[in-house]
Amino acid sequence: MFAAAACVVLAFLVLPVAAIFLRVAPDDLVGRLGDPVVRDALLVTLKTSAVAQVLILGLGTPAAYLLASRRFRGRSIVLTLVELPIVLPPAVAGIGLLAAFGRTGLLHTSVPFTQTAVVLAICLVAGPLYARQAVAAFESVDATLVEAARTLGARPGRVFLRIALPLAASGLGAGAALAFARGVGEFGATIMFAGSLQGLTQTLPLAVYAQFDRDFSLALALGGLLVAVSGAVLLAVKLLAPWTRFASTSPFLSAPSASS
Amino acid sequence: MRRVAALALALVLPVAVAQASGPRLTVFAAASLAEALPRIDAAERYSFSGSDQLAFQIRQGATADVYAAASPKYPQELYKDGLVAKPVTFATNRLVVIVPRANPARIRSVYDLRRDGIKLVIGAKGVPIGDYTRTVLDRLGLSDALGNVVSEETDVKLIAGKVALGEADAGFVYRTDARPIVGKVIQLAIPSKAQPPVEYQIAVVAASHHKTAAGAFVRRLLSPRSRAMLRAAGFGLP
Repeated sequence: MFAAAACVVLAFLVLPVAAIFLRVAPDDLVGRLGDPVVRDALLVTLKTSAVAQVLILGLGTPAAYLLASRRFRGRSIVLTLVELPIVLPPAVAGIGLLAAFGRTGLLHTSVPFTQTAVVLAICLVAGPLYARQAVAAFESVDATLVEAARTLGARPGRVFLRIALPLAASGLGAGAALAFARGVGEFGATIMFAGSLQGLTQTLPLAVYAQFDRDFSLALALGGLLVAVSGAVLLAVKLLAPWTRFASTSPFLSAPSASS
Repeated sequence: MRRVAALALALVLPVAVAQASGPRLTVFAAASLAEALPRIDAAERYSFSGSDQLAFQIRQGATADVYAAASPKYPQELYKDGLVAKPVTFATNRLVVIVPRANPARIRSVYDLRRDGIKLVIGAKGVPIGDYTRTVLDRLGLSDALGNVVSEETDVKLIAGKVALGEADAGFVYRTDARPIVGKVIQLAIPSKAQPPVEYQIAVVAASHHKTAAGAFVRRLLSPRSRAMLRAAGFGLP
């Protein structure tokens, strides 16, 4: 009974991924990776994801540390607001970005249709994933160690750099990897806010969508590439945090799917 | 209580009407038909999208009864492969350029689209409006304008929406797409010599379970009443 259910679940989860690689011959799949559409999409994806990752880590880490170490009125509301984009449908994130940063939006910027727009879309959907994980990681740091450092005269900046950051590192790394994977897979908010143009805003998922009814084998090659990237990230998470409390599963596997 | 009864009646009535006139058909239609078709026949279930995407879905086995495309290309391909019955042309269209009413880029004619820094939105290659747009630009010697493209959309309504929203400076759409957003955009004509022949073709899907009703739908679309409504919506007639 249990074994049968497990087999059904496993088969269902593995089949779509396996089908990508079974539908096209491996050498054909590799051959299509040289296509300009694939090359451009890969470059756009890597560039925007890298910039977004720098912003997410650079701003998210100190913000998460503050939220984890301070107790103030309305803290739970702030935490909820930070987590809201995680459960927000990507299409809503896209329309919200247009309403806020569009030329006719609240801030009247000319961000739409640029790579900046792709970066902002990634930051909005992937950033909270990292922030939530980072808050949890900082909260799990033994408070007595922080207290001891402080009584010994360490300034707050030094406590953060020398105590909290190293102790939370594995949790932060896992959060960063998952945010990266979510960002690479970002689709809905990007296509609405940044549009889709090869070499400028067309990321790998957008290229899959643009190609699936025109050139299915090219779409499959793009899909295979995304599977490889996602698999590598998951592997990194497992290698980064094998000794933490998330022993057998990766943290936040319940995070919304990157393809929605 | 009376309100509840009225609501119940409102929910039941359309179903009753639909049942009276045969099975409810699933109609796959080009996005540019999104206003016209439901006005001609409100009882059917419509899926509006890029003609190329709909053709792909039919190839993948989607259960559609009727397929109406903004170009003969895909209906003829499906016909050759035995997936739809012989397509017939039922309407024509023309391309226009639309700009937001505020016209931030001060575009006065199609020839201004070459200017640097304009945010132009067009259809992707393979989408009928995208292919027609490339033909127009080519015939006008304006292929440089492709350098101003900031986004390639998968159906014409996405182009119209981005211009109406004011995010894009200009976009190529069908004349009929500019009508519903007439308060938000300005239309710029494209010279007749550059207009490609835009033909809409419709066909009964071979795998349909309601071929008789689907055939009747196609005939209804060719009737004088439908032709008058298509003309009123801005379409040309074959």
